[in-house]
Amino acid sequence: NLFSVSWVTVKGEAAAIETELLRDYRFGQQQLIEIWGQACAHAITKAYPLSSLSKKQPTVLVICGPDQNGSIGLVCARHLRIYEYEPTIYHPKRSSQSLHQDFTVQCEKMDIPFLSYLPTEVQLINDAYNLVIDAMLGPDADCANIKEPYPGILVTLKQVKIPIASVDVPSGWDVEEPSQDGINPEVLISLTAPKKCAMSFSGKHFLAGRFLPYDIQKKYELNLPDYPGTDCLIEL
Amino acid sequence: MDKMNHSSAEAEAETIEPLRYLSKGEAAAIETELLRDYRFGQQQLIEIWGQACAHAITKAYPLSSLSKKQPTVLVICGPDQNGSIGLVCARHLRIYEYEPTIYHPKRSSQSLHQDFTVQCEKMDIPFLSYLPTEVQLINDAYNLVIDAMLGPDADCANIKEPYPGILVTLKQVKIPIASVDVPSGWDVEEPSQDGINPEVLISLTAPKKCAMSFSGKHFLAGRFLPYDIQKKYELNLPDYPGTDCLIEL
Repeated sequence: NLFSVSWVTVKGEAAAIETELLRDYRFGQQQLIEIWGQACAHAITKAYPLSSLSKKQPTVLVICGPDQNGSIGLVCARHLRIYEYEPTIYHPKRSSQSLHQDFTVQCEKMDIPFLSYLPTEVQLINDAYNLVIDAMLGPDADCANIKEPYPGILVTLKQVKIPIASVDVPSGWDVEEPSQDGINPEVLISLTAPKKCAMSFSGKHFLAGRFLPYDIQKKYELNLPDYPGTDCLIEL
Repeated sequence: MDKMNHSSAEAEAETIEPLRYLSKGEAAAIETELLRDYRFGQQQLIEIWGQACAHAITKAYPLSSLSKKQPTVLVICGPDQNGSIGLVCARHLRIYEYEPTIYHPKRSSQSLHQDFTVQCEKMDIPFLSYLPTEVQLINDAYNLVIDAMLGPDADCANIKEPYPGILVTLKQVKIPIASVDVPSGWDVEEPSQDGINPEVLISLTAPKKCAMSFSGKHFLAGRFLPYDIQKKYELNLPDYPGTDCLIEL
């Protein structure tokens, strides 16, 4: 029930939940990124099953930012490769943390191609890929202060004709406000709990957060829905 | 040797190579490569394997098939990686609405393994302080036992307490046992002489030689394994269906 799911209303709440998961519940960042990335890949297989893709090859462009949101995209790409999609990664700015670098190596070792630049010619992207996965900026990004190359990439994404699926928050959107002129994804995969900006989201909305301990759910009054079977995500 | 089921037309066209069963050294070598060359993290691998084990349990023992009033499961965890995989499995089973109870007599000093324990405690999963030696108590309280005590790196000729005692108890229980990776107490490369007799085996990455004589339900959890490693060790892993992380052999 869309209306019974609680929306994480304050920007700080998403960060607070994650801090508690790491500090009190002793989840590891690597562990969480693996859990979320796999859930994102599952969402993609549900929203865009292999048989539904129109191009000859099941190509997917995955654009990854430098931090956690980007690493979630990397794990998503790795799982999509295992599920027989053909992801290509664009990862222009790399983190210096070995945690994030390791996820890059895992993808390289699965023979997933990495683009050295993103074409500005939008038609090239439309022709080459079935969809774009936006894993650039997470809820902790300062959307008033986005550094290159992301503004340029967002300009390109606003013009693509193929679907965009965003990880956690559509990059460039304010976490708490409906988007004015940002990118327009067809699919949103909210992690843990949906953010306030998603209240006005009209596309396909998945929630990936089954692993979340009950005590945190109660503390933040998240009212998460029941997940079917052994699924790690649910469509809202 | 177990047969693989290939349903795709492409697979039928090619020769189906038999699944490789690993020696102790090969199993260790693959894991070292995964960590060192492929830069997987131990925490990441344990999460992947533990979740796959939980999926196997839901397939082998669906909630609706359990005979006791409550969907209780006893998870016996060793001190090292095999035990932590059991802890992650228990955590996922809790999420899937099973009622796991953990017996984790010897704890690792590594924070990596301790963290998995805390994650379970914070999910309100009970931890037993001792295992009843009265087998009937176990038979009555639980639907099945998950054996996550000893992995392929254990020296089965030299098992330290409390595991020999636990294995004696497990040989007498009437409820099913599901073992993680190798049945605890079995030699990794030899068929078991007088060890525990699990109904289910969940092999991680690739099956071990001792599993060649295993006659129960055998799952393989290893879909994440990079192709280069599969080729290098000639694993000939079967095709996994859909987005499943494991397959029944």
